[in-house]
Amino acid sequence: MSEPEANSSPQSLAIREAQAAVQQPAGRRLGIAPQIYLGLMGSVVLVLLASFVAYFFLNEIVEQQYRLAERSIPNLSRTVEVARRSASLVNAAARMVSAGSVDEHARVSLEVREERDQLVALVEELAAGATLRDHAYLLEARLESSWSLLDQVYESSGRRLEIQRSLERLVDELAEVNRRMQRSIGAAIDDQGFFLVEGLRDLGDRRRPLAERASDSELAYYRDLIDIGQQANLGGSLLGEALSLSDRDLMEPLAERFHSATQSLRRSLQRMATHTPNEALQSMGGRLIEIGEAEEGIFPLRREFLERLAQERQALAAGRDASAGLLSDMEKLVAQVNQEAVNVNAESQAAASTGIGLLAVLNVMSIGGAFLIGWLFVGRHLLHRLVALAAAMRDMAGGDLEAPVAVSGNDEVTDMANALEVFRRYALEVQRLNLVEKLAKELEDKNQALEQTLERLNQAQEQMVAEEKLASLGKLTAGVAHEIKNPLNFVRNFAELSAELVDEIGEVIDESAQDNSDLAEEITEILADLKVNLGKVGEHCGRADGIVHSMLEHSRASPGDWRETDLNALLKQYMELAYHAMRGENQDFNASLSVDLDEEVGMVEVVPQDLSRAFLNILTNAFQAMEEKSEKVGEDYAAELRIASRRLEDGVEFSIRDNGPGIPDDLRERMFEPFVTTKDTGKGTGLGLSLTVDIITRHGGAITLDSELGAYTEMRIRLPLKPAAALEEVAHGK
Amino acid sequence: MHWVEGKTVAAGRRFAIRLPARRLFFRACLVAWGLFGSALAGGQETAASPALVFGQSAALTGPASELGTGMRQGLLAAFEEVNRSGGLDGRQLSLVTLDDAYEPEAAIANTRTLIEEIKALALIGAVGTPTSRAAQPVAAEAGRPYIAPFTGAEFLREAELRPNVINVRASYFQETAEIVARLTADLGLTRIGIFYQDDSYGRAGLQGLRLALEVHDLPLVAEAAYPRNTESVKVPLLDLRRFQPEAVVIIGAYQPAAALIRWARRLQFNPRFVNISFVGSSALARELGPDGEGVYITQVVPFPADGSVPVVDRYRRALRLVAPEAAPGFVSLEGYLAGRLLIEGVRRAGAEVSPAALLEALRRTSTLDFGGFELSYGPADNQGSDRVYLTRIDANGEVRPVVRMGGG
Repeated sequence: MSEPEANSSPQSLAIREAQAAVQQPAGRRLGIAPQIYLGLMGSVVLVLLASFVAYFFLNEIVEQQYRLAERSIPNLSRTVEVARRSASLVNAAARMVSAGSVDEHARVSLEVREERDQLVALVEELAAGATLRDHAYLLEARLESSWSLLDQVYESSGRRLEIQRSLERLVDELAEVNRRMQRSIGAAIDDQGFFLVEGLRDLGDRRRPLAERASDSELAYYRDLIDIGQQANLGGSLLGEALSLSDRDLMEPLAERFHSATQSLRRSLQRMATHTPNEALQSMGGRLIEIGEAEEGIFPLRREFLERLAQERQALAAGRDASAGLLSDMEKLVAQVNQEAVNVNAESQAAASTGIGLLAVLNVMSIGGAFLIGWLFVGRHLLHRLVALAAAMRDMAGGDLEAPVAVSGNDEVTDMANALEVFRRYALEVQRLNLVEKLAKELEDKNQALEQTLERLNQAQEQMVAEEKLASLGKLTAGVAHEIKNPLNFVRNFAELSAELVDEIGEVIDESAQDNSDLAEEITEILADLKVNLGKVGEHCGRADGIVHSMLEHSRASPGDWRETDLNALLKQYMELAYHAMRGENQDFNASLSVDLDEEVGMVEVVPQDLSRAFLNILTNAFQAMEEKSEKVGEDYAAELRIASRRLEDGVEFSIRDNGPGIPDDLRERMFEPFVTTKDTGKGTGLGLSLTVDIITRHGGAITLDSELGAYTEMRIRLPLKPAAALEEVAHGK
Repeated sequence: MHWVEGKTVAAGRRFAIRLPARRLFFRACLVAWGLFGSALAGGQETAASPALVFGQSAALTGPASELGTGMRQGLLAAFEEVNRSGGLDGRQLSLVTLDDAYEPEAAIANTRTLIEEIKALALIGAVGTPTSRAAQPVAAEAGRPYIAPFTGAEFLREAELRPNVINVRASYFQETAEIVARLTADLGLTRIGIFYQDDSYGRAGLQGLRLALEVHDLPLVAEAAYPRNTESVKVPLLDLRRFQPEAVVIIGAYQPAAALIRWARRLQFNPRFVNISFVGSSALARELGPDGEGVYITQVVPFPADGSVPVVDRYRRALRLVAPEAAPGFVSLEGYLAGRLLIEGVRRAGAEVSPAALLEALRRTSTLDFGGFELSYGPADNQGSDRVYLTRIDANGEVRPVVRMGGG
């Protein structure tokens, strides 16, 4: 394919224009990337716009929520916490009062103290905020009064519980003392009662007389013991009563009665001691009195216990009033804070719903904008043109190169379209160039055919010329021969007649020359010579006749029948024929024959009579040459003939090689001309090879000669498998 | 008053942690009580599988101390018998006894300790009616069997109401019935009085006597009482004497009973004194000395000196193992029998013995013949023996078995 630039056809001009358009896009253009970026940026700008508006409103909502969270919610939760703790505080005093043990009281107190501290902290936090300051101050005032009450309750209940613990210990001790006293008193009374009746104290004692055992002192002792038992019992039960008494006012009379009982007990114990000192009973009685009346005894403690309990109840009542106030304050506070939270929440909700509305509008705008960008730019501008480009490509792929690619715009799509246009024009050009080349090829083929025909014509012409030459030579020769033949015959006949006449002269002489023998002899000798001469005339006439015969034969060359012939067999047959012929002439001649025939040669269409003559000519020449050499060289020479055939690509080749004397160089070129021969005069006409060449040429073949003087001669014959048509025409057209 | 609280509780807590501590605990107990130093042959206990531990709350001090120690001895004898022969399924039996000094409050505390700290499988061999009355519900609540309390109180024989109780001995009612039967039949006495301990034990005896007298259509001619854990018996004696009973049934502990009898003898007031088994025969005889002659005591177990009874013979040999110096006695024989009953129950409960399994095994037991002493139970009968034996203190202060009263 030749470069388009090399041509200056209108097409190449168009290509160059299109190329220029591709390589140098118009100066101000908008590429596809910037376009897409622009489109995307448009969308992004819309989204940003939406985001900005959303941000604005969300910010507003967040602001509201922040206010809610920062102020209202903490205020609310703080207030609720304050309310919860206040309520808990209201119970605190009661919990302290109802604490069952010192441990529990301490634990409750600790809890209450912690709660109180937390409550104070909470209220301080409330007070720190602007909105609820007044309420907080009010609360603080309320709480202050609660604290003093709580302290009072704390102190009182703590002390009360200590008292209770002391009382419990005293009760335990009282029970023990009572039990032991009763046991002791019981044993003593049992003892003294038995003594009063029986006058016996121990088993081994002597029985006391009545006066002794029933004396005043014994009876007084018995009474004292009984008194002690009774007073101790009374004291114990009074103490029990005191412990279960809850009316403080009844405490005094009870204490008074206990005091009388103990006074009596003390007296009885003293009196008893004058009779039988009983340390254990004495100390137990003393202890019983102490348990009741000592500073830390049951009565003072129980009294204080009840007093404290009353105080605590009062404090609790006061606390309940304070609590009621506190709780109502709290309710108000909670209500206000709640209202505040509700307000803020409402604002926040309003902002949120506005934001939601705006967001919806912006969403619609963003989606619409993005859709418009997509539809207008991508759909209409880009895709439409790409579709057009694709259609153009499809058309080109389908083979339609005529329609120009026309896509509007100024971007990469346009570039592609322009490039496609260049390509289209190239393709068009290439299509055209292909057509020219095809025509040129056809022309060349025809030329070649013509040349071949011409060559064949020339060949035929040559052949015709050769044949014409031969024919004219033949005609001439035939004419000459015919004309010569008669005189020749006449000469020969007369020579023979003359010879016979000579013989007759001889006979006559012989008959007459008996007497004149010398003359006769002389005449006879002359006659012999004459006869020899006449023989010579006859001989040469014969030769001339041969020549004439050959010449006649030459001219008689007429086309035989073309037949499929086994040339291998033909060649071998004629080799043997020629050898036998030669042996017929010279019995002494021997030659070794070697055959190397290619089976591939097969059947070839030839004129067998002609070709057999050609083979025979060559073979005869070969044998004659070898016989000649044999004659010359003698025994040392071993004649050898080799024939071979070979299948060629487009024909067959035969070679006939002898190891005869060879052909001198100067002769080699003229070998195939008529009347050229190496043989002695008389042995060959010099027309054999010429005739052979003619035959081979007529078959469209060729004959070549290769020889080395004194060594060998090899003739090679090439034949086409089929005679060329032209040759045939020529051959058959005659 | 009772056991050395702080020390033992601390030891008991360690006990729950590892074995050496447990041995230490046993030692501590023994040292604290100062009793039976050699009883447990402590080192013999093998560590292979944990011992089966049983708890006893009984009086080891105070007027009823001989009863507690006697029961303990008998139980240990029975346990030792088994432990020497390799234990039950390779498990040794061990007994932890806490002193309640015959006071119900202490009995409750002890029972709780035995269940919660000692993880006793069952409570066995409690002594006394008021203590059992207090402790048995504690054991019932914890699902522990309450086996063979040393009391004949009727309430423990209400099998439906107290399903965790298994008794060995005959009831006080049976004892008083036997007493009245003997007094009337053998001696032809009709004026019968009572001297009793003023508590649930005494009142149980009082009720039993009243019922028995009702059967014979006889009045209770004299009634006197003394406070528990005292010896204030002299004025009550005067009260008794005023009604001149021909026989006085004593429902009390051996010390006040002995005091009463001795003072009565001093005053030449000589009704027939008849005690019931709980009094503690040996202690009573010892306290009374020569004054004891003619005092009758009913028994609920065979005579412990009678080696001809197979179970008694075995008991005596077992007792020698744990206390070679101790004389055989009614209380320790009863303890031994209680131990035998328990062992049989554990054996029947199988390898994985638990309180519930043990109780179930005991309740399903119908009859057990220990050889001369037979226990038989039924669905509504949680009392093994109905036998009441009569004994009399002779001039040498020895307690002798008698078949009937009177005659010398």
